[in-house]
Amino acid sequence: MADSKEPAKPKSRGRKVKEGVKGVFYGMAAHGHVTAALRTRMYLEHLFMFITLGDMLGVPVIPPYYSLRILPYAVPNIKSWKQRVFRERDFTDQVF
Amino acid sequence: MVDILATPFLWVVATIALYVVAYWGYGKWIDRNVWRSDAKKATPAHMYMDGVEYFPVSRYVLWGYQFKSVAALGPILGPFIGITFGWLPALLWIIGGNFFIGWLQDYGSMMLSVRKEGRSFGPITYEFTGAKGRTNLLAFVLFYLIIISATFIALIASFWNAFPGTFVATLGILLAGLLCGQLLYRIKMNVFAVTGIGLALVVLSIYLGVLFPISLPWGAWNLPVWAFICAIILYAAAVLPTPMFIQPTNYLAFYPAYAAIILILVGAVITPFTNTTIQMPAGPFLFDPQGILGPIWPILFVAIACGAISGWHSLVSSSSSSKQLDIETDALPVGGGAMLSEGLLALASLIAYMVLAPSFFVGRTNVTAWVQGAVVLTTPMLGGLTAAVLRTFFGLVLIIYALTVQALVTRFFRLVAGETWGESRFRALGNKHVSTVVGLGVPWGFAVSGSWWALWLYFGGANQLLAGLAIMLITIHLARVRAPTRYSLIPGVFMVVTTLSALVWQTGTFLYSVWAYIQKDNTWVLRNVRGPIATDPNLLIVAVAINGIFVVVGAVLFAVGVSMAIRLFRSYSRSVAEARGKAPAAADGGTREEESP
Repeated sequence: MADSKEPAKPKSRGRKVKEGVKGVFYGMAAHGHVTAALRTRMYLEHLFMFITLGDMLGVPVIPPYYSLRILPYAVPNIKSWKQRVFRERDFTDQVF
Repeated sequence: MVDILATPFLWVVATIALYVVAYWGYGKWIDRNVWRSDAKKATPAHMYMDGVEYFPVSRYVLWGYQFKSVAALGPILGPFIGITFGWLPALLWIIGGNFFIGWLQDYGSMMLSVRKEGRSFGPITYEFTGAKGRTNLLAFVLFYLIIISATFIALIASFWNAFPGTFVATLGILLAGLLCGQLLYRIKMNVFAVTGIGLALVVLSIYLGVLFPISLPWGAWNLPVWAFICAIILYAAAVLPTPMFIQPTNYLAFYPAYAAIILILVGAVITPFTNTTIQMPAGPFLFDPQGILGPIWPILFVAIACGAISGWHSLVSSSSSSKQLDIETDALPVGGGAMLSEGLLALASLIAYMVLAPSFFVGRTNVTAWVQGAVVLTTPMLGGLTAAVLRTFFGLVLIIYALTVQALVTRFFRLVAGETWGESRFRALGNKHVSTVVGLGVPWGFAVSGSWWALWLYFGGANQLLAGLAIMLITIHLARVRAPTRYSLIPGVFMVVTTLSALVWQTGTFLYSVWAYIQKDNTWVLRNVRGPIATDPNLLIVAVAINGIFVVVGAVLFAVGVSMAIRLFRSYSRSVAEARGKAPAAADGGTREEESP
């Protein structure tokens, strides 16, 4: 059976301009707020993971029974969480 | 149609043409031959993608974000001081500073961070100059933030005092921001609907501002009271969660702020058709004709900061933009392009001053001049709107530019204070509320006592010195990878020497004032302060104390700056020597070392 996926059509100049203008507008008006919201969520997630899976770091906060119940849902995020939480941050990272 | 040479039109066209050359000519050349950006090289956004801090973003989005982050009150009010020496030197600095230094710094900071795995200037300074260098940077940034805060609080208070309609309009925008934050994040309303409601409330706020102008009745004490109100608003902005207050307010403020800039630029371009001519003298005046500021060098080069070059941009470029750069070749349009665009903002502001009569600038205290110039430029287009509406609108725009950036600066000060004192014996100063009160209380004291232009020169001096130090960091990196360094070394040395000289001059002015007071001449002491201290004879001793405090502030800024500069120059010398030791031929322009991604 032939592959049903067709190669993406090259974008027309008009569409590129439209996307560019849209991107600039979004960047000026909202991008900073979106990244700030993402960062806020990240810090909340750090807190959640520390509370629920503190055992991983040898700091049991809640009984292991509950941690084990949550574990299947948390497993997909553990790798990226570790990457974020262990990253060294400096005061100059906080400008924006 | 009037004589086209008598209007600002040709200068607008010439500046745009030169910026095009800066981008497509010099910029592309530096990108190709010095940094050798490579679209195939993995950027930190791809290497460390986590969907929060590191993720690739389109160059258009990032350009918009970068421009919005760097464009504030600096390019608007800097030319007000710069035009003291005639509009021609001010224009030449806006063109030349940006052409050879400004964009190079923003773009170089971004590339440096990209090549250093997305790290910001703190860790990079640590790597190049050691732990003491980073501590030095921390101390410098703390002082820098206090000076910025003092300047912006002083200006916001002056604007509210000068334009009675703007306070109600500002309150309206703040309340609209709070409401929009609740609609967005609590009720989960569609963002377009929230934007529509928010914009309607912004228009309503301006209308209410015109209808209900507020003037305080306390004469010389008005400014301290306005400054105190401003500090309260900033306190709320710094301690409340960002989605509740800062984010939606800044989002709504974006629309009137950028609408105003577009209107002024269009107004400047159509001046030959609106009979709007240049009124200010071209200069150049080697010394301030009013005898207030001093010589053209170094004062002009610190008076006009953003728009020509600004150290704040290096922090922005290396903080978040570098972590989201999709491909290396995007650094030029994002970092360099945004800076050159900010030059146009400075140009628009300079033109708003050029079309005013010289009488607007007598005493250097009329901070409303930009609004008057904006009204002159845009009235022919917006004839349907009354002067009161336009004054309220443009006055509000000034306040918005200052308030939105200052909210972020106060927040940043809180974080830096936490970093500095959080684990020391003065840990109370690292507390969220204590650090915010200190970060607003000290600037408030400066704002209500010092003349705004005196503060502005300290702000410019600190800001431009940070730029010089950033360029030196860039140069050290280039030396380490054996790339050509002269294109950044010469601007770096120029900026460091110029800004340190400006700090010496300004500190000397305050010192001379104290000395003159000891010699029974009070005029110098009173020249550097504002009402009520300047007007009440009983507060003369306070004026002397303020001058003394500003001597200390200037001396500390100078000392920290010199210390930082020495460390950076030593590091640069070491880097050059090491590069020569490794491969003598390469250091003189031969094949250079490949950088690790």
